[in-house]
Order: sequence, then structure tokens, then C-alpha cells
Amino acid sequence: MNIFLLCGLVCFSALAITMHNLLKSAICLGVASIFLAVLFFRMGAPYAGVFEVSIVAGLITVLFITTIVLTKREGGVKERKLTNIFFLLFFIIFIMIDFFVMKGFIGNLPNMPVGSPNLAENNNFSKVLWQYRTLDLVGQICAIFAGVFSVLALFRADKKENNNE
Amino acid sequence: MTNGEGELLFVFIVLPLVVAGIMPLIGKLSKKVVPDILTNLTTFFLLAYSIIVGKQIIFSGIYTTKFSWFGEPMNISLTLDGFSLLMLVTISIVSFCVTLFSIDYMEHYGHKANYYSLLLIMIAGMNGLVLSTDLFSIYVFLEVAAIASYGLVAYGLGHNELEASFKYLMLSAVASGFIVLGISIIFACTGSLTFSEVAIGIHLVNAKYLVGFCAALFLMGFGLKAALVPFHAWLPDAHPSAPAPISAMLSGVLIKVSGAYAIIRIFLNVFGLTYALSTVLMYLGLISIFVGAIIAIGQNDMKRMLAYSSISQIGYIFIGIGTGSPLGILGGLFHILNHAVFKSLLFLNSGAIEQATGTRELDKMGGLAKQMPLTATTNAIGSLSVAGIPPFNGFWSKLLIIIALVQTQHYAFAVLAVLGSVITLWYYLIIQRNAFFGKPEEIWKNVKEAPFWMSCATVILALLCIVIGVTFPFVIKTFLVPATDILASGVSYLYNFLGY
Repeated sequence: MNIFLLCGLVCFSALAITMHNLLKSAICLGVASIFLAVLFFRMGAPYAGVFEVSIVAGLITVLFITTIVLTKREGGVKERKLTNIFFLLFFIIFIMIDFFVMKGFIGNLPNMPVGSPNLAENNNFSKVLWQYRTLDLVGQICAIFAGVFSVLALFRADKKENNNE
Repeated sequence: MTNGEGELLFVFIVLPLVVAGIMPLIGKLSKKVVPDILTNLTTFFLLAYSIIVGKQIIFSGIYTTKFSWFGEPMNISLTLDGFSLLMLVTISIVSFCVTLFSIDYMEHYGHKANYYSLLLIMIAGMNGLVLSTDLFSIYVFLEVAAIASYGLVAYGLGHNELEASFKYLMLSAVASGFIVLGISIIFACTGSLTFSEVAIGIHLVNAKYLVGFCAALFLMGFGLKAALVPFHAWLPDAHPSAPAPISAMLSGVLIKVSGAYAIIRIFLNVFGLTYALSTVLMYLGLISIFVGAIIAIGQNDMKRMLAYSSISQIGYIFIGIGTGSPLGILGGLFHILNHAVFKSLLFLNSGAIEQATGTRELDKMGGLAKQMPLTATTNAIGSLSVAGIPPFNGFWSKLLIIIALVQTQHYAFAVLAVLGSVITLWYYLIIQRNAFFGKPEEIWKNVKEAPFWMSCATVILALLCIVIGVTFPFVIKTFLVPATDILASGVSYLYNFLGY
């Protein structure tokens, strides 16, 4: 099952990069994130899974799609053929490195010597988030603020152009 | 070590964040005056708070704080030591001068409230980064500052600005990938993310090759943020394209906080500076000094020249820190403060010139000293400081670095560092000669001096170049020695911190 999920993740990630339509590309990225989140859940990392679903599959996809829809400029992105060839080449090299090296590398990781309260089994997600990673929540609020204000700043152009029109 | 209530340190993150949040509402009521006043009051408060309260706090040692929410304890742990205080003061000085400069400069961009919101979030992100004692929190706040800076670089909305912002975003994403991978491996090895537990965990695991691999990942990730050569490609596009106050923030503090601070803190206090790490830092520093300086000479765009100069000056910081000796660390830290002051000054001056003349091309300028005497004077002070001419502040930090190199028997590095300084003087004289000296061009006869608040900001920074240079023993004793003690004690600082 994990292999199928992994294949789905890789396929949709590759589609997100190669799609020429921005909207379809953003949707592919969202689907890839959902595959990754399910993998996280299945492999015993529920916190990472929840973050993946909430931030990447949820917030970022919504932000991308909203931005693309609001700009009203859904056009194909023209790329040189050379770019696509290089991407394919790097993609294949990356997959090969991943296949041959990463398994051995992860297997060689030493055992954890320091017991972290975050890893204790009786901690649920909200407890970990509120009691151990509270500062990251503040950071996430800051990051969301920064994203929203950046989008607002970039949309000044459309307002200007609309006014001029 | 002392402990206390959370509000004391949490102010550095929450105050700019809250003001940023309410700024759009205030912008609806008043487009210019109230956002200007509120932002400047905030940055002035943070500056005064960091100098007066911050100094008092660390007077009795390292200060750790826990935050509570309506009596309910929350796990927000912030720590203020000598190094983080130095960075907080540096961020606050540049932030205050930048917001002062923005009052007049950002008039023609419009939507000031939105601009101030992004700027304040960037400040909150940088403050959070230097107060964090956890690898993942550092990453989160680094991203906060970075996201705000993408928006600010693109703020002009021209083709160049958008392209530069996109390039910056793409390369930063690569940097973030390296950093997160490094953090993940550290977490997998040690089971923790807090500095102190990671330091002990690494010691217990004794996985030196894995730590070396993580150090390489951090060097690539944070090195890209610090624009160290060969990870510098984004900076010469991003910094000139941003509005001048943002260029000042990026070159003055952001590359140091999100790049240099993180590398120095992790390599010296968490991993411990080994011979290999020290050598890598010194060589990268040396290469940065020369690549940045030599490319800067060939530039005709004033802001692009300053951007390459930043790459060169970052090299001095790393070469000083890389020596690992207390004097070298002191020199490197002093150069962080000094570079923030004089590079912000020079970028703000470039903004004043661009606004007055409409160009950044040096060969189109000439004889502006007559029309803009104050800008010409402050620019000369900044140029002499960055070139390391006594008695300005840049001289003392470079001198300390060179003495440290000689003391540690890196004679070739010392000679090359002096040579780098001579090249720096060369290209800053090019700016001074092409822009301000010579026969006044006819087309610039109606050019006027920069408006009041813009001049105010540059005068404050120019005065700081002189004051820090003249009173350098006081500055060293007050702010730099506590920071150097923390870094020079290496990993044992964190062991003591935990009572290990």
C-alpha cells in the first residue's frame, strides 16, 4: 500500500512541476500533499501528517488557487524544450539516488539517546502542539500574516491597472 | 542563569506582530500619518527596550523566560544571552532608521500600511529567530522573515522586482530544503530539537560523520541565506530591486540574522567548532571577500555595487569567526554590528540619490555633492567606514579580525584580508567620485537634498559610524564581550545551561 501511495506522491509531484496550466498544477500539488499526509499517518508520524494536511494540502493550495483565480490570467506557461529535458534527467537521477542510497542511509541512523517528551506515546496532537511546540504556533501565525500581506501587496498592481483601465 | 516572566522577551515578537495586524485597519482610517507614527513608535520602543531593559536583563547572566496565558503555563521558552542581545540591538537600530527613512521615501509607492505590516512581520521574525533556543523554531521564524521579505522585494511591482523576488524565493526554498533535511537528521539522531539537548545528544551518539553531513547541509542552507560565495546568486538581484529601506534591512540585518547568526550559533554552541568547520568557514569567507569585491568594482548600478559589497563584507565576518579565537570571534561580531550600520546607511543614501535623480547608474551621475551636501557627507562617512579607514567603526572590527588572523598564524589570510579592504576602498571611491564629485551635470541642477526624515535616518546612521568608532572600547565592553564569552565557551555554554 505504501508503495502505491509513494508512486502517487511522486507522479502528482512531477505533474505539479510539468503542468503548463497553473490551476491544474496547484491542484496536483494539493493531491501530492494528501498522498504524503496519508503516508505520514501510515508510518506513525501523525503530527507531521496533520501539519501536512493543514498547511500544505489545505492552506497553501487554497492560497495558490485563490491567487490564480483572482489574477484572471490563466494561460499556459511556455518553457523551452531544453528545460523539460533537463528536468526529466534530474528527476531520473534523483529517483535513482533515492532508491540506491537513502534506504541504506536511513538504516544507518543511530538510535536516539535523549528521550524527548514529544515522542512519548501518551501525548496526543493537541497536547504536543500546545504544550511542547507553542512557539511554533506563534511562528505559524506570523507566517500566515506574512503570506496574506504579501498577496495584498502584490494585488496592488491589479487595482492600479483596473483604475487606469 | 536567571528565569522570569515571559512578557519581558515576548514583547520583541508580539509587539511588532500585533501592530502589523492592526495596521491595515489603521490604514483605512489614515493613509499616511498614523501608520508612520505608529510604526516609528514601535521600532523606537523596541530599540530603547533592547538597549535599556535587555542590558539590565543579562546583567545577572543568561535570561530564560516561560510565557503564561491567563495563568496557564505555555511552553514558549525564549532565551536572551549576550549574542542574542547584540543581534536584537543591531536589528532594532537598523529597523528604527529604516522606518524613519520610509516616512518620506515610501510616499510614491502608496499603500504604506501594507508595507509597514510586512516590515514589522519581518522584524518579528528576526527577533523570534535570535531569541529561539530550538532548531525548528529557528527555521519557523527564518521562514516568517523570508516570506515577508519576498513581498517587500517585489513591492515595486515592476518586471525586475518581480523577477528578483521570484529568484530569491526559489533559491530560498532550496536553502529551506537543506535546512529542514539537516534538522530532520539531527532530530532522528538525538530525539530533540532544543540546542542544549541536541548538543548533549550529539556528544552521546558520537556520530561525527552524520554531524559533518548535517553541518554541510546547514552550511549550504544558511550559507545561501547569508549569501556566502558560492551560494550568493540571488543577492545581487534581490537587494537592488527592493525599495531602498528594504535593501537596507536585507543587507543590513536579514542576511546576518537568517544566515550568519544561525551558522555561528549552531556551529559554535551546538556542534562545537572543529578544525574542519573552522577551515571551511575561513576559506568560504576569504573567497567571498574577493569574489564580492572584484565583481563590485565592475558594477555601474550603485545598489548592485553595494549588494556585491555585502557579499564581500560577510566574508570578513566568517573569516573572523572561523579563527575560533576569542579575538577573532569578537572581531567578527563587531563587524556584524558595524556592517549593519554602514551598509544600511549606504543603501539608504542610494535610495535618496535614486529618488532625487531617477537613476542608479553611476556613469549618469556626477557633481551631486553641491545639490545634496548632506547625502554626500553621510555617504563619504559610510564609504570610509566600510573601507576600514580610522577612526570610523569599520576600521576597528577589521583590525581585530586581522590581529586575530596573525595571532592564530594565518598570515596569508591576514594579508589577503588587508588586500580585500584596499579593493573595498577602491570601489567606494568610485561611487563617491562618480556620484558626488566632479563637474555638476546640467541635468542635475534642479536636484534637491533628500527630504527631512530621510536625511534624519542617514544622519543618525552616519553619527553611529563615528560614535561607535570613537567609543569602541565602551561598545566592546558593553555588548561584544558578553556575546564573545558565550560563543568562545563553545558547547560547554549549553552544557552549563542544563547543569550537565
